[in-house]
Amino acid sequence: MAADSYEDVAKSKDTIPALEVQPQDLYHAKSFWTKYIFCQDAKVIGIQYGLTAVAIGLVGLASSWLMRMQIAFPGVIPMDPAAYYQLVTMHGMIMVVYLLTALFLGGFGNFLIPLMVGARDMVFPYVNMVSYWVFFLAVIILAASYFVPGGPTGAGWTLYPPQAITSGTPGGDGLGIVLMLVSLAVFVIGFTMGGLNYVITILQARTRGMTLMRLPLTVWGIFTATVLALFAFPALFVAGIMMTLDNMLGTSFFMPAIVQFGEQMTHEGGSPILFQHLFWFFGHPEVYIVALPAFGIVSDLISVHARKNIFGYRMMVWAIVIIGALSFIVWAHHMYVAGMNPWFGFFFATTTLIIAVPTAIKVYNWVLTLWRGNIRLTLPMLFSIAFIITFVNGGLTGLFLGNVAVDVPLSDTYFVVAHFHMVMGIAPVLVILGSIYHWFPLITGRFLNERLGRIHFWVTFIGSYAIYFPMHYLGFMGVTRRYYEVFEGEAFTYSITGINQFITIAALITGAVQFLFFYNIIVSSKRGKKAGKNPWKACSLEWRTEEVPPTHGNFGKELPVVYRWAYDFSVPGADKDYITQDTPPSAVANAKVEQT
Amino acid sequence: MAEDTQQHPLKIYFQVWTLLFVFSAFSYWVDWYGFESYLRWGLILAFMLLKAGFICAIFMHMWWERLPIIAAIMLPCFAILVFVFIMWHESYWTLIVRRIYFAITGS
Amino acid sequence: MEDSSSTVKIVVPPKQSFSKEWASDQKAFKGVPWGKAMMWIFLVSDTFVFSIFLISYMTVRFSTKAEWPNASEVFGLHVGHYNVPLLLIAIMTFILITSSGTMALAVKYGYERNRKMCGYLMLATAIFGASFVGMQAFEWTKLISEGVRPWENPFGAPQFGAIFFMITGFHGTHVTIGVIFLFIMTRKVFRGDFDTGRRGFFTSQKSHYEAIEIMGLYWHFVDLVWVFIFAFFYLW
Ligand code: HEM
Ligand SMILES: [Cu+2]
Repeated sequence: MAADSYEDVAKSKDTIPALEVQPQDLYHAKSFWTKYIFCQDAKVIGIQYGLTAVAIGLVGLASSWLMRMQIAFPGVIPMDPAAYYQLVTMHGMIMVVYLLTALFLGGFGNFLIPLMVGARDMVFPYVNMVSYWVFFLAVIILAASYFVPGGPTGAGWTLYPPQAITSGTPGGDGLGIVLMLVSLAVFVIGFTMGGLNYVITILQARTRGMTLMRLPLTVWGIFTATVLALFAFPALFVAGIMMTLDNMLGTSFFMPAIVQFGEQMTHEGGSPILFQHLFWFFGHPEVYIVALPAFGIVSDLISVHARKNIFGYRMMVWAIVIIGALSFIVWAHHMYVAGMNPWFGFFFATTTLIIAVPTAIKVYNWVLTLWRGNIRLTLPMLFSIAFIITFVNGGLTGLFLGNVAVDVPLSDTYFVVAHFHMVMGIAPVLVILGSIYHWFPLITGRFLNERLGRIHFWVTFIGSYAIYFPMHYLGFMGVTRRYYEVFEGEAFTYSITGINQFITIAALITGAVQFLFFYNIIVSSKRGKKAGKNPWKACSLEWRTEEVPPTHGNFGKELPVVYRWAYDFSVPGADKDYITQDTPPSAVANAKVEQT
Repeated sequence: MAEDTQQHPLKIYFQVWTLLFVFSAFSYWVDWYGFESYLRWGLILAFMLLKAGFICAIFMHMWWERLPIIAAIMLPCFAILVFVFIMWHESYWTLIVRRIYFAITGS
Repeated sequence: MEDSSSTVKIVVPPKQSFSKEWASDQKAFKGVPWGKAMMWIFLVSDTFVFSIFLISYMTVRFSTKAEWPNASEVFGLHVGHYNVPLLLIAIMTFILITSSGTMALAVKYGYERNRKMCGYLMLATAIFGASFVGMQAFEWTKLISEGVRPWENPFGAPQFGAIFFMITGFHGTHVTIGVIFLFIMTRKVFRGDFDTGRRGFFTSQKSHYEAIEIMGLYWHFVDLVWVFIFAFFYLW
């Protein structure tokens, strides 16, 4: 039962903390422009972020198709090595930064944080709006690099110098690399504006009764990821500036003395390995920036759709925080073969393997939440289970790679490709898909079509397994990543070719089925089954708004007051199998709640 | 907002101001007198940290803030210290490798 | 959702233990307004930016085989017959500290609702800041005329010039942005925006003296960064 006003709340004799947060002075849009374009409402901004991210993500998807065609059926789609490198690079960068990061933090973060913590909006809606448009600008700059002479950069998403800015690399002596770096810098600036908003909204603008330990894990995941982003992106930003200077002004931060086409370049004395450190100081936290929101969201999906409280909530929170903290001291496990100080292998292998502990705890807790739960095989649940499977798979290969001696032969092979696509490619994407099925009723008031959804799920899940599982094998055979073609005449090429063709076909199908999903979204948003107010019977606040879908200002006249955590499912003694966060204890006097 | 209307005596600002001048002058003198090696670096670091500490504590009012926000500001800086430590060792390693390489190739 | 600040009572709970405050509801940083918290977290993020600049500087300096130029000579100034080491830098340091002091006082007077004092001190801060930028421009010109370029310099390791222009340039950009905002805020103070709660042109949010403290945080941070640059780049 939602408290209707401060007086009602007072009458119910449930203890309510005094108000500490100033009521927010919201801007009310007056025209089309301020309502839909330069909108200050976090929900709209979230959707803008999401759509933009998906739009550029389609470019990434198309790149992957073309790459796969070249690997498996060379010649069918004619391309030279340069074009292939450009595809690899743009695919990687778009997927990691512009799709996943923007979608999780910009999209889900904006939409869910204010609703889940019980705020009317982000703390600074104007800054939030600017954040989106700066992100949009970054995407435009990125897209522009396709149209400059020489095309986009082909340096690989890691952009390692010296090759990133030498003329042998596509885009290396033209504008391609410059636009890439500028776009990243702009992205960082835009993200910082948004990220500060998310962090402060969660820390300083929660509703009464909403303690940190009552936050849904979704919020914890997004929060920690945002903090990581705020402290990790500076490294990318600085590295980007320095590489731009190397390229445009001829400085030698990263560039050693190099002979290019028989001519001595003007650079001298720079340190390429410095770039690698800077990049991975950003890059490793970045993988957790993508993973942690997925961890958080999937915990909520599992709990809601198994009608059971999340197992070990506190442990889950601490695991997220510890993973976040540790992810700043493991970066050089990406550099075991880079020629760094030999002592580092020991240090970074140790820290890397330690990070597996909290990660494993999370996996156990998801499984234990499912254990004897009242599991409903809804679409969000299916995607969540698929997530656990793929994530465990990828996490285990991570343990292999974390050991220096094992990594040395596997580094830069398809084994690594398999590892990171398992953990960072499909696992978070499965969560995104599942959560769209879950929250679509909140956004539009309608369900997505179930039958199309099931087709979508099974093809996506089995398809992506078919794509990435065989890659482990390719890696063991020593097939190097990022190669334009597998050399002819090797003894093993026969079996490699077969596997590659299999993978490509799986990739084409898996990619294509996503369009079924888009179709489902478009059709269902108009004609889908009406969902009603709280269709999944969830406990968290985002379903407790006055109207579903929520309107500007989110909640009604008064903000809800929170009395419990978000996981009071199947509580013995309660008349319903869930108790929403804003239900006062007096309304469920007989319920034997475990934790509030 | 009615929150946070910190009032501090004028005196403390002038005291800190003076101190900052003095520390700056000292660190300048370190250079002026041409101290070398560890003494020099130690003094530079000491005055730097003193100045930084006073600016943070008094001018930026951190002294009067509550512990949670102080912790939230200071803790992330450990990541920076680790990074400094690692890169310090990395750069010496790079130098060693360069020395060896150029000694062999003779350039 | 109308501005109901007059009707609703906001409390700032008394100090409690560290863990209790973190574990409480609504606000983790009790009594800290949103804008100030946001500026602090931004500054931590910006600390990472500058630290990584300095870490890169350390790395290239320690790993280069070439001689690293002696900053104290390079940045010396001729006064009469003497070459005074680091003279200009010392003056710049003192100017920035002075501006930090005036800024701190401006914040104090802002909270005391002393519009005049606050405004004049802000103006002084802005002018000191602008003169800092001016001296930096002078310093750049001098070095460029001596043949220092981002890609080479007559004194030694080519990274010396590169690092110099990059780090001081980035710091100077921060100062310049600060100066621009200081002038804007000065105008707002004198116009009385913070007393009348006039709404911002872009944000349409009410003005409040707390904005001066936020400005102050940024400005002191710029000074703070200079402390580190002074120590590591010029003195080391
Ligand atoms: C159990 C925890 C994990 C361990 C021990 C681990 C370990 C490693 C290691 C050692 C590498 C370097 C392989 C090489 O280049 O030779 C690597 C690569 C990678 N990992 Fe993980 N990882 C773990 C979890 C994750 C997670 C959760 C993600 C993302 C969500 C992730 C994303 C990546 C990516 C993107 C790369 C490849 C980057 C590239 O070279 O392009 N890893 N991992
Ligand atoms: Cu990593």
